[in-house]
Amino acid sequence: EVDIEDEGKVDLSLLRELGKNGLINALNSVNGVKTLVLDPTVAGPLGLLTEVSLLKQHGVDKMFWLEAGPLTATTTNIVYLTRGKISWIKIIADQIKRHVKDGTKHLYTILLVPRTSSLVSRVLEEEGVLGEVTISAFNMQFIPLEDDLLSLEHENAFKEIWVDGDETAVFESAQALITFQKLFGLFPRIIGKGDSAGRLTGLLQRQIKELDGGSKSDKLLTRSDKIDSLIILDRRVDMITPMLTQLTYEGLVEETLGIKNSYVELPASLLTTAKPPQGTSQVDANASPSLATPSASTLQKEPKKKHQLTATNDILFRELRDLNFSGVGLRLNKTARRLEEDFKGNLKAKTVAQLRDFVGKLGGLQSQQQSLRIHIGLTEMITPSTRTEVFNKSLEIQQNLLSNYETSTQIAAIEDLIAQGASMQLVLRLLCLASIVTGGIKTKTLEPLKREILQSYGYEYLPVILALSSPPLGLLLPNPLPPSAASLASTKIPYSNLRKALRLVNEDPDDFDDPADISYVYSGYAPMSVRLVQCVAQKGAVLKVGEGGDAARKGKGVAGGKARAHPIVGWKGFEDVLESIPGETFDVAQVGPTGTEASIAQTVASSLLSSEKSSTTVVFFLGGCTYTEIAALRWVGRQNKGRRILIATTGIVSGASIMNSLAGAVSSGAASKDTTPQL
Amino acid sequence: LSLEEATKIPDPTSRITAIKSAQKFFSEDKERQFEAKMMDESIRLLTSQQQLEKEADGKIDFFGLSVNDTVTTCLLNGMSRKADKIKADFKVPDKRFWYLKLYSLTKARDFEGLDNF
Repeated sequence: EVDIEDEGKVDLSLLRELGKNGLINALNSVNGVKTLVLDPTVAGPLGLLTEVSLLKQHGVDKMFWLEAGPLTATTTNIVYLTRGKISWIKIIADQIKRHVKDGTKHLYTILLVPRTSSLVSRVLEEEGVLGEVTISAFNMQFIPLEDDLLSLEHENAFKEIWVDGDETAVFESAQALITFQKLFGLFPRIIGKGDSAGRLTGLLQRQIKELDGGSKSDKLLTRSDKIDSLIILDRRVDMITPMLTQLTYEGLVEETLGIKNSYVELPASLLTTAKPPQGTSQVDANASPSLATPSASTLQKEPKKKHQLTATNDILFRELRDLNFSGVGLRLNKTARRLEEDFKGNLKAKTVAQLRDFVGKLGGLQSQQQSLRIHIGLTEMITPSTRTEVFNKSLEIQQNLLSNYETSTQIAAIEDLIAQGASMQLVLRLLCLASIVTGGIKTKTLEPLKREILQSYGYEYLPVILALSSPPLGLLLPNPLPPSAASLASTKIPYSNLRKALRLVNEDPDDFDDPADISYVYSGYAPMSVRLVQCVAQKGAVLKVGEGGDAARKGKGVAGGKARAHPIVGWKGFEDVLESIPGETFDVAQVGPTGTEASIAQTVASSLLSSEKSSTTVVFFLGGCTYTEIAALRWVGRQNKGRRILIATTGIVSGASIMNSLAGAVSSGAASKDTTPQL
Repeated sequence: LSLEEATKIPDPTSRITAIKSAQKFFSEDKERQFEAKMMDESIRLLTSQQQLEKEADGKIDFFGLSVNDTVTTCLLNGMSRKADKIKADFKVPDKRFWYLKLYSLTKARDFEGLDNF
């Protein structure tokens, strides 16, 4: 009975091992001591896979960032680890040419992430250095960030797919999903929404067929018995959600401080153990997010997997991360009290046995205390920014827009925000949101607004606005559309209909401590993407809430706990809704190549059987998902007995990160040439 | 897009040329009148920024700032008449201009100016 939660669980550490071994093999293929040169966008994810010590063990002497300019290396072997971007390759070629000129002799290896491409060799050929290098691939795929969260850590996927028209990320996703299936078996069913998601599915099926030769592992021949389905959503389907300000704890940390590859930068003072917690009187300039603090160090913030008992568990973060921020203070308070009680209780220990008990617990308590202190510090850093006028105004605008309330007033309010100098990404997010939910902003209002933005933030943002307003994104549209942009009309979503059909806005947000619906994550708005997942995996929730929140709560009470997860039957019951959202809708069953009528019948039988055991539904976000969506999905997962939700994504995004990637703000990182990358 | 390249060019004259070519590109497309106009403004801004830098004997950097930042910089350096001129030239709405002025005066601790406000 107790084990039922763990039974049938998908073991993600397999994926981590795979990544790690891949890296080691790639490194070992180069003999001797070597200098490793890293593309900064690879370094972060790499840090999640391995440690510096491991790299050293495999002959890495020094590490550098890949940057323009000369490279001085003491070792003969130089290994470049980089994504196959032309700009990076050009830098490499340039460095090689310099070495040739200086007469220094080196052996070059380029490890391309995640695979080699002919484009790279062509660029190298044009630069005339192809002969000097060995090119091979380091196949970095899904990296488990949490025990229910996989990520490709491909941060620019969104921009590449929908702005640059670069499908690399789709291809990489397909590769990663195939690897996943090699480990855990075929997804019995693939359900999805969105044009790019559709292309991904097509790619998946085709590649599996192509693998049909002897190279195919057994797993790919059979359907997985642990996984019931794969749901693919592409980011384009739901652009509303990322435009909103995230309100869960982890989401807000991301919004205000930024989380990169599961790392958040914090002032060092917060992380040193010696100092006692600072008084609350200090919530002023000092406590405001001080990203600029030079001594800022990194802290691994994600809780370790439950079964890794040796690692420091951050149980507290596990509790906090998905809470609505308004509930975090209370929870911290409770935890603090509990810890105090625990300490007190231990002081009363009299007998030797009790004392031994106490000492045993002490370590755990101390680490809990430590994490409590960090989270209190974090909360203190976030709180001031949630109290600013701009923050609250923008929340108000968001909520009003979502309920289609006095749209023109909201747009005027956005204009005020520009005048007040709110950040560019915030303004653009609000404008896009306004455009999406209303089906376009009146041309007469939109043009002066764009002008305001360009004047306030600089004309260099014109490309961003262009990208947002042209296909295939079409997030910022004039109404009526100019004739040439007629194609964009089909990308609009009928928001007001969807809002009703999917109950996106919950008029009376309930208790944030014990929410009855996912809308708690945005204080009243249910992320559309997650609602769509519910349409597949938790149909009752969408319907029940449709009858009113009370019924849902009552239903919960009567059933005396969690409802049994129903078998996956695709979009059934929601076809009309799905049809009204632009983008391809699909639902395909995957049968092994030996699949016959019999095996289909077998599936039906096994799906009946599955009511006995639990299964996992994989949700894949093409183009990234937000922490808040993750929080909402975890909530959904908890409501169903017998169904676990595993979230996979090309990367974690937020409205801010999307806007910044569109703005081409390539953060070259604060690292300078000589610093050793911190892993 | 030549515009994206333009933002990366540090040299003033060639940057203006690049934006000019972007402007030309936009003006060829009827649907892109707005963008063309904006590029026009951008060029005007950059030229007037060069002008401002000259007047300030190169002590203050203006080039490449946004309209807002240009106004603020003017105000902070006691060039409030220039700020007014920029406001007029680029039709900065009063609301935004007053916010900028308020902010700048506070930052410069110009309480007399704030009083006169």
